[in-house]
Parts: sequence; structure tokens; C-alpha cells
Amino acid sequence: MPSFNTVGKRVPKLDAADKATGRSRYIQDLKLPGMLFGRILYSKYAHARIVKIDASKARALPGVRAVLTGEDIPEIKMGVYKDNRPLKKGKVRSYRDEIAAVAAVDPQTAREALELIDVVYDPLPAVFDPEAAMQEGAPLVHEAHQTNVLRMPWKLHYGDVEAARREAAFTVSERFTTTWVTHCCMGTSGAIAEFDPGNNLTIHSNTQIPSLAQKEFLEALAAMGLPDRRVRVIKPCIGGGFGSKLDTYAYEYIAILLAYHTRRPVKIEFDRTEEFIATSARQPTITTISQGCDRNGKLLFRDVKMILDNGAYTSWGATTPSVMMMPITTLYRVPNVRYEASCVYTNNTYSQAMRGYGNPQATFAIESTIDMLAEAAGIEPLEFRRINANQPGDVSTQGLRITTCGLAECMEAVKAQLGWEQSRSRGEGVGIASLIHVGGGARVYKSDGCGAMLKMDDFGKVDIFTGATDMGQGSDTVIAQIVAEELGLNIEDIHVIHSDTDVCPWDVGAHASRTTFVAGNAALGAARKIKSRILEMAAKELYAPLEKLVLGRRHIQHVDEPDRRVEIGKLLRKAHFSHGGQMLMAESFYDPANENMGKDFRGNMSMTYTFGVHGVRVKVDEETGKVKVLNYVAAHDVGRAINPMLLEGQVYGGVMMGLGYALSEQVIMERGENMNPNFRDYKILTARDVVPIAAPVLETPDKDGPYGAKGIGEPGCVPTAPAVANAIYNAVGVRIKDLPITPERVLAAIRAKKGMDLCGRKTGTDSGEACVIEE
Amino acid sequence: MSKEITFTFNGNRMTARVEDHWTLLHFIREELGYTGTKEGCGSGECGACTVIVDGAAVNSCLYLTVELDGRSLMTIEGLAAADGSLHPLQKAFVEHGGIQCGFCSPGMILSAKALLDENPAASDEDIRTAIAGNLCRCTGYIQIIDSIKSVRGEAPEGPRVVAWRDEER
Amino acid sequence: MRNFTYLVPRSLNEAISMHESRRGRAKYIAGGTDVLVKMKEGKLAPDGLISLRHIIGQDRPFLNTETGELYIGAFMTHRSIERSPLVQHRYPVLHDAVKNIGSVQIRNVATIGGNLVNAVPSADGAIPLIALDGKAHIYGAKGYRLIDLARFFLGPGQCDLQGAEILTEIIIPPLSPRTGGAYVKHGRREAMELPMLGVGVLLSLEADLTTCAKARVCLGVAAPTPFRAREAEAYLTGRPVTEETLSEAGRIAAGESRVRDSIRGVAWYRREMVGVLVKRMGMLALERAKKRNE
Repeated sequence: MPSFNTVGKRVPKLDAADKATGRSRYIQDLKLPGMLFGRILYSKYAHARIVKIDASKARALPGVRAVLTGEDIPEIKMGVYKDNRPLKKGKVRSYRDEIAAVAAVDPQTAREALELIDVVYDPLPAVFDPEAAMQEGAPLVHEAHQTNVLRMPWKLHYGDVEAARREAAFTVSERFTTTWVTHCCMGTSGAIAEFDPGNNLTIHSNTQIPSLAQKEFLEALAAMGLPDRRVRVIKPCIGGGFGSKLDTYAYEYIAILLAYHTRRPVKIEFDRTEEFIATSARQPTITTISQGCDRNGKLLFRDVKMILDNGAYTSWGATTPSVMMMPITTLYRVPNVRYEASCVYTNNTYSQAMRGYGNPQATFAIESTIDMLAEAAGIEPLEFRRINANQPGDVSTQGLRITTCGLAECMEAVKAQLGWEQSRSRGEGVGIASLIHVGGGARVYKSDGCGAMLKMDDFGKVDIFTGATDMGQGSDTVIAQIVAEELGLNIEDIHVIHSDTDVCPWDVGAHASRTTFVAGNAALGAARKIKSRILEMAAKELYAPLEKLVLGRRHIQHVDEPDRRVEIGKLLRKAHFSHGGQMLMAESFYDPANENMGKDFRGNMSMTYTFGVHGVRVKVDEETGKVKVLNYVAAHDVGRAINPMLLEGQVYGGVMMGLGYALSEQVIMERGENMNPNFRDYKILTARDVVPIAAPVLETPDKDGPYGAKGIGEPGCVPTAPAVANAIYNAVGVRIKDLPITPERVLAAIRAKKGMDLCGRKTGTDSGEACVIEE
Repeated sequence: MSKEITFTFNGNRMTARVEDHWTLLHFIREELGYTGTKEGCGSGECGACTVIVDGAAVNSCLYLTVELDGRSLMTIEGLAAADGSLHPLQKAFVEHGGIQCGFCSPGMILSAKALLDENPAASDEDIRTAIAGNLCRCTGYIQIIDSIKSVRGEAPEGPRVVAWRDEER
Repeated sequence: MRNFTYLVPRSLNEAISMHESRRGRAKYIAGGTDVLVKMKEGKLAPDGLISLRHIIGQDRPFLNTETGELYIGAFMTHRSIERSPLVQHRYPVLHDAVKNIGSVQIRNVATIGGNLVNAVPSADGAIPLIALDGKAHIYGAKGYRLIDLARFFLGPGQCDLQGAEILTEIIIPPLSPRTGGAYVKHGRREAMELPMLGVGVLLSLEADLTTCAKARVCLGVAAPTPFRAREAEAYLTGRPVTEETLSEAGRIAAGESRVRDSIRGVAWYRREMVGVLVKRMGMLALERAKKRNE
């Protein structure tokens, strides 16, 4: 095993001291001279015609500088499907629809101005259930679209599922549902927009996609009659992402429009209620799935049909089936696969990317039914998975090429560390679930690339400009480690600049667990160019052949003669301060050789895949239905851990988020209205809910990853829910098929299994009194 | 209405004229200009705005500035030494991965400080209780708890017995 | 938040005259964690806030050793009650409740009196105090009055305080010998929860350490106000306290509750949990009662 100086070390995050001392500047902390405060008025109906908006009183309020409605703005098309606009015109399609916006001299005046805007609505019949929305005659969310079903034909069929079904010795079929959960970034959303006299835009915004946002804002400027201008996107320190910032939001465009109208910088900053209501959740799903295997437990087919509640507009949530295809076709070896997904407009909130990007929903259905199938086949669940585990060198039906795969090893780690075979008390159970996720980028856009530019100063210090976005996960630190390792420098010699599109190169965005792999490779590419030039200079300086020179501890030295060495800084100064002087700068753009999906959705979407197995031990209280997690093991095959401490942080954070998804979190949507837009009733887990988590890391250095690394940002929350559901089944014999797994659901299932109604009476017996469910 | 109050801010005595309706969070961020104290929810449910008043952790979003009169306030800016060197708790959070996006960190660190000042040998359970009101979405709390554990003192030997007596009128 | 005047009386009389002179446009504030949230949400917009934090003598629990009565100042923070060794050891039913209200940050400023006058069905502090037969000591322009805390709650958000009256103290009568109590807040998380259901049980045993001499079964969120399940209490009184009798008491208490569906829980589940948790808190109360006899 190679030895490294900084790679593989538990290097503290570069920005941690700033954050620990309160020095980091988030959007909340930024103020520009002359800045106004923008605020948005949202719809009071889930579906209604806008009859009239009277903003005259708001405009007359002292301190108000601008009021805009949908009628006042140009046709700016937003979103993945271009079916949204910043301020709505004609009608509203959900409660979060933006009706009007104001800019005022202070936040309080902006709030008061909103209350002075009179809107007359004409309510329309609305539809909240995606299955109902698919029916003939359902209210149309977008009349021009003519149907509520999006024209995104997610459909694949590899092999022959029907033939395999006939051949199967054991088959299970089930229906699973998942609901909205949301990112809950501790720092709420916000943006500050500002125009210069030439109408070039600078926008400070919390975004995970600076380059794509820049492009979309340029399109907005063109729609505003300002073609051919410049847009500069500056990211402040970001208080959490998790996918929420993967699309542009109406508030960003509204800030731009208000800034344009007022000729002043305008800031829009969400409060917590707004953050819950007006940012986009994880896509809810209804999944029907069947899987079958032969007598020996070998999987023969997987057949999945899914309905996704798209909400009223279309963001990246609607494209999650592209990633769901990965576990559906390739989690375990499955020769025959069919998948079909429909995204359906409703008058609910619309969805976005969220950590795992569809994978948690798909894996919940797959891994729950894997356990059911194992039971039907009479094979122990771990053994069943071992029989079907992917192996390095496999190419799945979808054309995903498995380069490295530690699935079997992860199973062993979970088995040992969880005490899989250990005896269990009453109500206790263990469950596992596996995962596959993209580990080498994912081609969801025309480019999956990231750029890096590197310059060195006279003292051997590096500035690296990356397209990557650090929203807390620590990508800056990982990039710095890679550059330091390659150039033989110390971590403190590396300065990472990632925050400004004026100086940083292009990147498709911080998604798909791709940053370490893609931005890491880009940084590595630039560092290698510099390295070869340093080595050339050193070879002349030391009169040594290139291949005999190594970099380390800020020096270049001869491998065999340690005394023949020169300090990198000294070498650089010499190159700079001589005739025809030179300074070292290099760039690199890395676009992984992953493939766009073909028309049958075949294609190797990622250069490599990350695998993992999660195991959990729970105790179910059979009287209350409460599930207590006793112990959790999350084993991942990560290629190489560039920074084990940050990697563990991703896994721990992912698992706790996943446990929330499994057990406690839920956006309660009643007829399109978010009923719990606060931390009281939207229950992310607290420090008191922490469970013991072990995060064994298996290293299977990948030939394409920087120093062998694969992505690990998302996997921690992918198989959590099915692992918990499987453990509950193991504990008390009930199969929960709907998330979250609330005590109510568990207790109802336990009673149903015992042949009781919800009130604990034997069903079928005539007790003379009805079981009253509601009052 | 406004009032003049005198208080100690991060060790320095200070007098200020404050509006009755200002929350302490507003006062610290907008009037004093120290932005290390964060607003995560504004309703006492996330703990990002935690500061220490007279040794006790409080949510500054639900604390009126007028109530600061005669008291002592510590914000995250008051924790590091004058030369910038980090407080042991800050150092621990840096070195143990207790910080990711960092938005909860100032409040989290101050909750931990209030705990350890009062109970240097806090148990794991004490730690989890002390920071239960500080929500974190990034870390899953594990490395935060590790950070705090790394700087707590040793528990005194033998079982911890708390004597009680009837308090008389 | 809208501007207002913050008034700082030093005595109860001063507070009351301030309140009266403002003719309903002023509101009392103690810790402020409820009042300020309501004001931020625009549900309250008083012209003045009258602080009760600086009125002397209401800031600690004390036991009158002659009478055996416990006095809890209404302006005591939950944190100071939680940390009172007296409460921890003699009144565990109260300790169970206050130690899980909100967060440390909230408990450091929020007061027990504020929790009570807020009169939400989920008031964690109310249930154990009702179980302990607590009396509300109320001061107004006409002087003092004392009412059973069980009768203090009139409806959601409504309590028996007239005009400028102030809840000043809770008085807990002497505990019967061989008394144990326990409270549980039922929710999804281990902290930061408003209860889906709150259940407090207090049992006093006869000298045989088996027979129930007195029972209190108090429920929160099981009706529009915190309440005593009196039929369950009557059933237990005089019977041996066992898992069976407690199960039956739970069943009776479930029948007495007027649960409903809300975003925090569905009615059928709440009713079922009344049964389960009355039994469990009863068992814990029994254990504690026996321990106190040792």
C-alpha cells in the first residue's frame, strides 16, 4: 500500500476555525451599502385564478421602493421543464406560488407592505393525489400541457421480465409509499442581487450550481431585454445543501427583478417558515414492485412501476427516476428488469433533489422486497444477498460497468460489527439493506465536468481555483489534500478558492456525490501539470534525471541521495527572477468518461459505483409501536478515504438523516398546505436521539478516482429506511411499507397481525361497540 | 420606548441605549454588529442563536435585550483568546470533525461551554441533553459529541451522589 | 416584532396597577418564550409587556417542614425546578416532566407559571402539579385567592385568571406516606417534543404497600385541557395495585379521554396510549412509592 503525506489523514476542515469562531459569513451576515430588503407574498389557495391584484396601498407605504406582480415582469421561464415563472400570472397552482414581491428599506416595512396587497382569487378544483391526477377528467394543473402526466417517458425493459416471472420459483409483489421530507438546512435560503450601471448582474446566492445558475440568470436577463450582459455568481458560506440548492428558485429571480427595478442591491432572506414552505422537498413516490428468484435464491427479475407526485412545477425531483434506474437495474445481479415511472402534476408543493436523488425511495422498495423474497425462498437474508451480490467486472443489464465493488466485504463487516447472529430479546430484531450509488460522477447534464486552475507564488504556496462547491461537506479540504499530496506540500500551503464565478472555472454542480471524484481529478490534473514543470526545473537544478526525483515536505529531492534536494519555493523564485522569467500556472478540466443514457436508458452513467451495506438492531415496543434503534453499522466501499474524518462525518450525518426519513420526518401536506413548517412538528432528530453508529470503511482503490477515491456524500442515507423496516419485521413480524415508520403505523400493523382492530379488539367478534377511529 | 442598559459583553463592560422590543439576537447582530450568533428559526426551536447570559445558555431570539441590564453576555466572539488562539472547545470541534456547514457551530459550542463550566465532568448523557436544543443537520451529532467529550474533565472517583435537604422557609 | 413598552414592576401590586392602567393593552411576561413567539407570529400585539421577572421572592421551591407543604414560585424557571434536589427526590413526577420541557436554553428562562397560564392542552408542567393536588395561588386587585389547579384550566389557551390577576405560586399539599408518582411525555423524538400525550400517575399506598389509598391519573392532550381521569382514580382506590388493575385503570382513563386527530397524532392512537401509559406510569409510581418507604 502506498504511503501518503496528507491523503488518508484526518485533516481538519480548512474553514473549521472560521466557523468555530463565528467569523464565516453566510448570506444572513452579508450587507451591501444601500441594500433593500425584498419579501414575497405567497398564494392563499392551492389552485385558483388570480382575478385581481391591487398593490396600490403597498406602493404608497413609506419605505417601499418597488412592488412587482406577475403582470409586471417579463416571461422568465424557470425550472427543468420550463413550466414555472418567478411571479405567477393568471393562476396559482400551489400554496407556495409567488404572487407579488416588494423591496423596502427594512425587513419590517417589507413585511407590512405585503399585508397591504389585496389579491382577489377565484378558487379552482384542485388535485392532490397523483393517482387521481392521472385520471381522465381530473383538474389540469397546467391546461396547456393537456395532461397532468409529464412527458418524461421513464421506461426501460431489459431481458424478458414476463418469461422470468413464469420461470421463478419464488415471487413477491408489494406496494410501497414514501412521502415528502425536506432538507432542513440550518442556514435558510437567501440571495442579494445587484446591477452595475451597464446592467451586469452580481448575485450572492446559496447555490450548489454556480455555473448552471449563472447560465439561467443570463437567460433571465435576456428575457428582461438585457442580452449579452455578464453575470457573476458569488457563493457566501453555505449553511447546508443536501440537494436543496441544485436548482434556481423564484426568490433568486425576484431579487434580480427587484434590484433591476430599484437600481439598488436587494436581499431576500427566508425565515424558517418560508424555508419549509417555499423550498422543495424530496419527491414522494408510490411504488409497485415484484421480484422473483429461482430455487437457489438467484434473482431472476425485478419489475417496478412508480408514480411520482411532481407537485405543481418541475424541478430536478422529476428526473430522479434516472438515478432510481441504477439500484433498480443494478443493485445485485438481476438479469431481467422492467421499470416505468410517471411524474404527475398535482397542486402540492414541487420537489427537488435531495441527498440520494431518488435512490432512497427506490432502495426502500427493493431492499424491503429482497427480505421478503429471501424469506419466501427460505434463505437467510444476508446469505440471499451474498448469492446475488455484484462483483468487480460485472456489466449490468443497463450497461453499468462495475469496476470496484466491496459489497460482499461490507456484508461481512456488518455481520461482525452488528452481531448479526447474536441472540435477541423479545421485540428486538436486526435488519440489513445494501446500496449502490454513483461514485464517479453522474452524467445528468451535457457535461459532467469540473475545472481547476492552479497558480504558485514565490514561496511555494498554491492558490487553487475550483469549480466545486463546498457547502459544509469539506470539498475544499479534500481538494487541498490532493494538491498538497501531489506537489509535496503541506496542507497549509494550499488555498482553495471556490466561491466566485468571475475567477473559478465551470462545474456542473455539487450533486451526485461527485465532487471528490470529479473536482478532485480536475485539481489533480492541474497539480500534475505543475508537478512535471517543477520536476523539469529541479532536474536541471540538481543535475538529476527526472525519474529519480520525488516531491515531499516542500522539497524536491533525489531518491537515492537525500542530500541532493532543493526547496520548492527557492526553485520557483529562481524561475521567476531570471531573464525570461516564468511563474507556474496550470489549468485542467476533467469530464469523466461516463455516458449519457441512450434512448433505452442504457449507458454507463458513472465511471465507478460506491457500494455499501447498512445493518441495524432495533427494539420494538409492542404496546406503543415505538421503534428504538439500539445499534447501527454502515459499511461502505469508498475506493480510498482521502480524509477518513470527513468521510465518517458524511456517513454519520447521512445515517441520522436517513433515520429521520425512516422514523420521524414528514412534511404533513393537507390538501396542498404544509401543516408543519417548523422544527416543532417537522421532526429532525436531536442529539438525544443519536444512536451508536459504526462506520467501517472498505478501501478498494478505484483506477479512475483521485488516489482511488469514490464518492460518499449521499450513500449514508440511502438504505437506512429499508434496513430499519427489515429489522422491525425481524423483531415483531410486521412489514411496514409506508414511510415514515411511525409508532401509529407499527402498532396498527402489530394489531392487524394479531387479528385485532385498531382498538385492540379481536376482529370479527361482535363486541357490540364500534372501534371509533375519529371523533 | 428605549432604555439604557449596562452589561458585560464578552468580558467588557458596556452601556447601550436599546429599544424595548429588540431581541438579544437582533441587538447582537444588527446593533453590535457581531454576526457569529445565527438565526436558524427565530422561535427557540433550533438553538443556532444560543448565547450565554450569566452562565446559562439561552436562545437569544427569545430574550429581550432590556433584560440584559446588569448581566453578563458571552457570544461566540468572546470565546477565543485575544490573540485569536482558539478556546479548547473550539479546537476540539475543529479537530474532531464537529463542524461541517458551521451554521449550528457557534450555538453548539456555547451550549457545550455552559455545560462544562458548570459540570466539567459531564457524562455522555449530560452532553446529549445539553445540546438537544441545538439542531444540526450535517454531522448526525456524533463528531460533535466526540468533540465535547474530548475536552471534558475526568469524572470524580466513586459514584456521584447529590445530597438534598428540605429547603426551609 | 412591533414596538412596545417594557415595564419592570418590583412588586405584585405595582404590576397589577400597571396592568389595570393599560386597560387590557398590556400583557404579563415572565420568561417570555411563549409570549415572544406569539408576538413574532403576529398572534399577539400588546402595547406593553409587564415583566414579572423582577418581583422578589417567587424564585425557588421550598418545603414548609411544619406543614409539609411545598411552595413553587410561579416565576421559577423549569431549569431551577429540574435542578432542585428537593424536587428530584421527593417529587419525581414533577421532575420527570420539567426536565423534558423544550431545551436547556428554553428551560433556563421559561417559567412554570408561564407554562400553566399558557393553558395549552399539552402543558407538561400542569399534569404532575394536578396529580400532586396543587393549588394555584392567585393575586389580584382584590387580594389573594386559592383554587385547585385541576379547576384552573378552562379551555385551550384559557385559564381562570381575571383581569390583572397574576398566578404567583403553586402550593403542593403534604404528600401522603408511601406516595410515588411518574410522568411521561409521549412523542417521536427524545427531546424538543411537544407531547402527543402526557400521562402522570400518583399513587399513595396503604401500609401493606399493595393497596391503593389514593390515586391520581392526570392526562395532557387527551382533552381540550389537562384533566384528571376521575373514574380511573376511583377504580384504583382501595384495590391492590397490580399490572392488571393498572391496565384496567388505563382502559377506564382511555374511555374518559376526549382525544382528537391533529398533526401531532391520531385519536385512536392517543386513546390507546392512554391505556398503555397509565399502566406503565402506574407501575413506575408503585415502584417509587415502595422505594420511598424504604
